Amino acid sequence: MMKKKLRWILWVGLIVILALYPRVFGIYYTNFFVTFAVFAVYSVSFNLLLGYTALFSFGHAMFFGVGGYGTALALKHIQGFPLLPAILIGAGSAVVLALILCPIVVRVTGSAFSMLHLAFGQLMYVLALKLRNITGGEDGIGGFPIPPFSIPGIVSIDMKAPENFYYFAVVVLGVSLWIMWFFTKTPFGQIQVGVRDNAMRVDYLGFKVPQTKAVVYVVAGAFAGVAGSIFALFQNLIAADSGFGILVSFGAVINTLVGGLGSFFGPIWGTAIMQILEEVTTRYTDRVELVAGLILILVIMFAPMGFVGGVRILKQKWLAHSAPKVKLEKVS
Amino acid sequence: MNILESRGLYHDFKGLEVLFDVNLQVEEGERHAVIGPNGAGKTTLFNVITGTYHPSRGQVFFKGKEVTGSKPYQMARLGMGRSFQITSTFNRLTAFQNIRLAVLSKKGVRFQLFRKVDKMEDITKETDEILKRINLDRERDMPAGMLSYGKHRSLEISMALGTDPDLVMLDEPTAGMSRDETHYAVELIRRLTEGKTAVIIEHDMDVVFSLADRITVLHYGQILATGPPAEIRQNQAVKDAYLGELEA
Repeated sequence: MMKKKLRWILWVGLIVILALYPRVFGIYYTNFFVTFAVFAVYSVSFNLLLGYTALFSFGHAMFFGVGGYGTALALKHIQGFPLLPAILIGAGSAVVLALILCPIVVRVTGSAFSMLHLAFGQLMYVLALKLRNITGGEDGIGGFPIPPFSIPGIVSIDMKAPENFYYFAVVVLGVSLWIMWFFTKTPFGQIQVGVRDNAMRVDYLGFKVPQTKAVVYVVAGAFAGVAGSIFALFQNLIAADSGFGILVSFGAVINTLVGGLGSFFGPIWGTAIMQILEEVTTRYTDRVELVAGLILILVIMFAPMGFVGGVRILKQKWLAHSAPKVKLEKVS
Repeated sequence: MNILESRGLYHDFKGLEVLFDVNLQVEEGERHAVIGPNGAGKTTLFNVITGTYHPSRGQVFFKGKEVTGSKPYQMARLGMGRSFQITSTFNRLTAFQNIRLAVLSKKGVRFQLFRKVDKMEDITKETDEILKRINLDRERDMPAGMLSYGKHRSLEISMALGTDPDLVMLDEPTAGMSRDETHYAVELIRRLTEGKTAVIIEHDMDVVFSLADRITVLHYGQILATGPPAEIRQNQAVKDAYLGELEA
């Protein structure tokens, strides 16, 4: 009972903080938060594959990029295209890509899966560069109209105002996170972690392993697409490097490993840590990747379960320390 | 009636014949032991029947239907459970979650994406009942990988039975157990397979003769003899090939 009340208080507190955030921190840190939220959702979708199904993708950016390009192309070429359908087109494009790839990729595991994704990810990157007529090459697609959020006859909110966009992005990304969280709590989510631990046994219990992986794969792709779509709207630009770049793929890996792949919220912590670090680093040097790489090495060496895993261990130690001492009698 | 039957089953690994014209017949409701020296093809026979491998030749019938070459998940859905010689559980999941997966399979809950699994009372209740029956209720929330060997084996065996199969195939359920653990496991198997059909691979002759209603002896991929324990004990061919070397 107390726990339930506490949880409600936490939820209300979180919503109040999110609502007041733009007024307190100003425009710069509002945009900072939107970037964080985008990459948090993207990293969590990546962790559905890595942490929950043991599928290590080196090309998760392809879904992010396809989501961004899908939304950008729709808005550029279709006059007066509304906002939510534009995001759905982004997510839908990612789903289509996932559906095309999944018959192949659900049948491989381990390093074959990783390398296949490295290849497909780079293929998408090259396509984005080369199909200049469609994708705009290196420059990408920018300056497309940002439609207002509108429910006909009721409201129409201008999305070009950063503060309005912040609220919109927080709601869309928050709902995405909640859906993914719920996904891991369903019976299907249990079968998913079963596949991670022991795919053969899942088969022998009467579940279809490839189909299970395929569903997870499509869901992870869809939400990476949502993140990419919001990112394109936020920047009013999507280009090969920011959409399909190898650093976008590795970003998910680093965020997840730093945050902790053993928990749902780990990648969110990881994204926050890495983004704050990047923010601080850029004040002193341009070599952001160098610092990120060093952090990754330190995490892998000293906290292999990431930030969340480290906190868990500290908590256990603290509990053990504060527990009543039991006197051990000498057995002779 | 035969619940499981193999007719003229052959299997080879790239030319190496492992099974050679195996005609296994398992009657409904019996505990059927498969024995034989190392390398006799016992586990291969299991793998061919449960769907790990496609047999090179021959047919498998389960509940009167031909199931030759079916996939493991198909066999599981038809009502065949299987446990493994090398413990094969979900090591990062708790004992409870391990059994729950078997219960979910039994209830046909597969692509359920709209309910929380923790809120499915019937599933939770049934899982807890199984844990209690196998004496693992105190280890309910312990990761399977951290269970003691004996308990881990119990979990392994009960997962095969958690789907409530009509036929359960136990591959050396007492492998690596101490004398006490074996004794306990045998009682557990006796209790859990009550009224069910079970095929058991076993090395321990005490276990075999105390559990099995009928025994099949496999030797170099061929069936040497099939019959009730007393008959097998007297069989000269079996004595020469297998039992003799144990007593000598």
